[in-house]
Amino acid sequence: MAKLKLLPSLPVGLRAPTRPGDPVEKKGPIGHAQDAGIHAVDWVDERTSLSGTMRWVMFRPIPKGTNWFYTLGTATMVAFINQVITGIVLGMYYEPSATRAYESMKYINNEVFLGEFVHGMHRWGSTVMVVLIFLHMARTFFFGAYKYPRELNWVIGVVLLVLTMLMSVTGYLLPFDQRAYWASVVAMNIAGNAPIVGPFTPDIALGGPDVTTLTLSRFYLIHMMIIPGALIGLIGAHLYLVIKLGTTAPPWVRADKVSAGLKEHQE
Amino acid sequence: MNQREKEEYLREYAVLKAQGKPFFPYIIVKDGVMMIVVIGTIMLLSLLLGGELTAKADATTTTYAPRPEWYYFWAFELLRVVKPPYLVGLATVGIPTISILLLILLPFYDRNPERHPLRRPIATTTGIFLIGAMFFLSYLGAEAGAPSRIELGPPPAIQEADQATQTKWDLGRKLVAQSSCGGCHKIGENGNDGPGPPLTEIGDRLKEGAIRETLINPTAPMPSFADLGADQIDKMAFFLSSLKSGGEDEGASATGAEGGGAESEGGSAPSKAP
Amino acid sequence: MSDRRPAQSKYTIDRGIPGAFEGETVTRRRLMVFAANATAGVAIGGVALAATGFAVGQPFVEVDTGWHDVGPLDEIPDDTYVPRVITLDPKTGQVGKSTAYLRKRNGTVDKEPADKWNQVIAISSRCMHMGCPARYVQAAKNFVCPCHGGVYDFRGEVAAGPPVRPLDRFYTRVVDGRVQVGKRFSVNSQIERFSPRPPGQPLDGIGQYLFPSRPTQRKIPGT
Repeated sequence: MAKLKLLPSLPVGLRAPTRPGDPVEKKGPIGHAQDAGIHAVDWVDERTSLSGTMRWVMFRPIPKGTNWFYTLGTATMVAFINQVITGIVLGMYYEPSATRAYESMKYINNEVFLGEFVHGMHRWGSTVMVVLIFLHMARTFFFGAYKYPRELNWVIGVVLLVLTMLMSVTGYLLPFDQRAYWASVVAMNIAGNAPIVGPFTPDIALGGPDVTTLTLSRFYLIHMMIIPGALIGLIGAHLYLVIKLGTTAPPWVRADKVSAGLKEHQE
Repeated sequence: MNQREKEEYLREYAVLKAQGKPFFPYIIVKDGVMMIVVIGTIMLLSLLLGGELTAKADATTTTYAPRPEWYYFWAFELLRVVKPPYLVGLATVGIPTISILLLILLPFYDRNPERHPLRRPIATTTGIFLIGAMFFLSYLGAEAGAPSRIELGPPPAIQEADQATQTKWDLGRKLVAQSSCGGCHKIGENGNDGPGPPLTEIGDRLKEGAIRETLINPTAPMPSFADLGADQIDKMAFFLSSLKSGGEDEGASATGAEGGGAESEGGSAPSKAP
Repeated sequence: MSDRRPAQSKYTIDRGIPGAFEGETVTRRRLMVFAANATAGVAIGGVALAATGFAVGQPFVEVDTGWHDVGPLDEIPDDTYVPRVITLDPKTGQVGKSTAYLRKRNGTVDKEPADKWNQVIAISSRCMHMGCPARYVQAAKNFVCPCHGGVYDFRGEVAAGPPVRPLDRFYTRVVDGRVQVGKRFSVNSQIERFSPRPPGQPLDGIGQYLFPSRPTQRKIPGT
């Protein structure tokens, strides 16, 4: 199998940049503007060789029979991107302190332009993301898509699920209202129920025996830096494997009888 | 999966891929539509439900009933149904840890090369059962009301009664709720199922006098409520004796039968004969 | 793999390595590999240890909650509880406080031996199942938790539901006729005192060894 694997070719819509020696054609201002764009992209490509990767990602063949169930992964990622964007802008007004957190949330809700809308998008975005993760996982399970050669991607997916659940635990405390506070107390006592190591895990997570300002800044940091960083890295790995291994076809779709021409090509 | 099965799969997959379409633009259009649907749903939810806050966090409260976010209702209910103290560790760390491990290791113990859900009956059944169990636990968790409150509406007989009776019923309801009956008895969706029997339909089994007697001279381990005074026990007994099976549906049909079904207890059985 | 290589002496001098010393066993290549790994390890480990210690150490620094005045002894009944709020951490507002239910020790119900720390019984309102706020109900003389079905009797012992141990208590002392509430401690089903533990951790049987207490939070010695 020492055959060179060719990348899918460029679609006809995209022009290759002109090179020195090509026949010069008359161009209007639009033509020059197009050329400028092409040259800029070409400049980057010459230094990064990204176009091969882009072609590999965008023009990869998707098996036949792919249906709407296969958009659930993208949908989950969109929900995550929504969480990232709304989370960043919420962080512009939020104060992670036991005495100020609730007031800053009130301020976001009542004073900031579009405040409650963006807060709501973050809050309900988490719900949507959890639902989509479970749907995506159910699809993978029932289609047998976790089987060879995609076992590692399933493992990464489960880790992503766990991290997302941790995101919701840490994010839940941040508004610092009654619901947030008591849910965190219970969550930490659940974590503390593991023998031997149990008593020390909540201490480290909370920054002390009780939910205090230390807890709030810790949860804030975990919620907006540590877990998101891990999530972004693992989503990258997840996507890389999806692209490398290809998405599955629905298990009930069978390949047509291999045509003579295709067979020749394969041999 | 042995080597032959792996190669068979890869060959089949290569053909399927060759017969498929490129990601751009055929598949990405579907993804794009889904993106709009997701963002639209999130915006719609945000517009409809907003980001309301409850009261500020207060560690000194003795009246707040904590509830988790809805997607943790299954865990919440798990903690409620696992009653024996020595099994608490199972509900808190045991079951979640085992579930996560089983989930992570799924591709390693499920070696069946078959992928069609109908040709993997064990896996499919287990999956559906687990999803069903999660839904069931989540439903129970969502329904569970605080034991210090009773959310039952007045039965039809009380709704039709005069103002004084309605006030008495409502006072009784509040007294029962405040007297921690919900700690041991289930009343409607509120309260804990055990160690005491559920009281949702206690009126079917005990008359008002018997209930009053039980409140004053209960069998252990139920505490006596005699300290509350005769007047308050009266109201509690009146409220509890109004809790009967059937609820609104029977009440609606009972209006045709001269309201007899709700008033007298033996009335409903003979009326079925004609 | 190693089987195929001819057996070598462990002394570099026997292997004919130029410049080898008598009795030397470490080749220069191995020494350099070790040194490269060690320097990287020391550099990364230094940062990692400092950061970990900074992040993880602080919770183990002792916090002295002190004694809190909760009013005169005369106002505390012995047949019911009165709630009192104590401020454990004045900097964090309402979450730095805690509710204790107080009553005088009553010889007819309290069977544990009397000493100077339990003239007044102070019971924590935290449910010992998962830490929800339990409430004392005088009508039934019990504590009811609103979460998972925990019910405690008049002494704070588990009456029903999943809690693993009786409600935690606070040390109390009486100074000049006024009651002061001190550190929290946990109790097992015999109301013996233990160093405070978070909710959900049983103390009967081997529970106290499976769930060690924080090294910085201890009960008063000898109690």
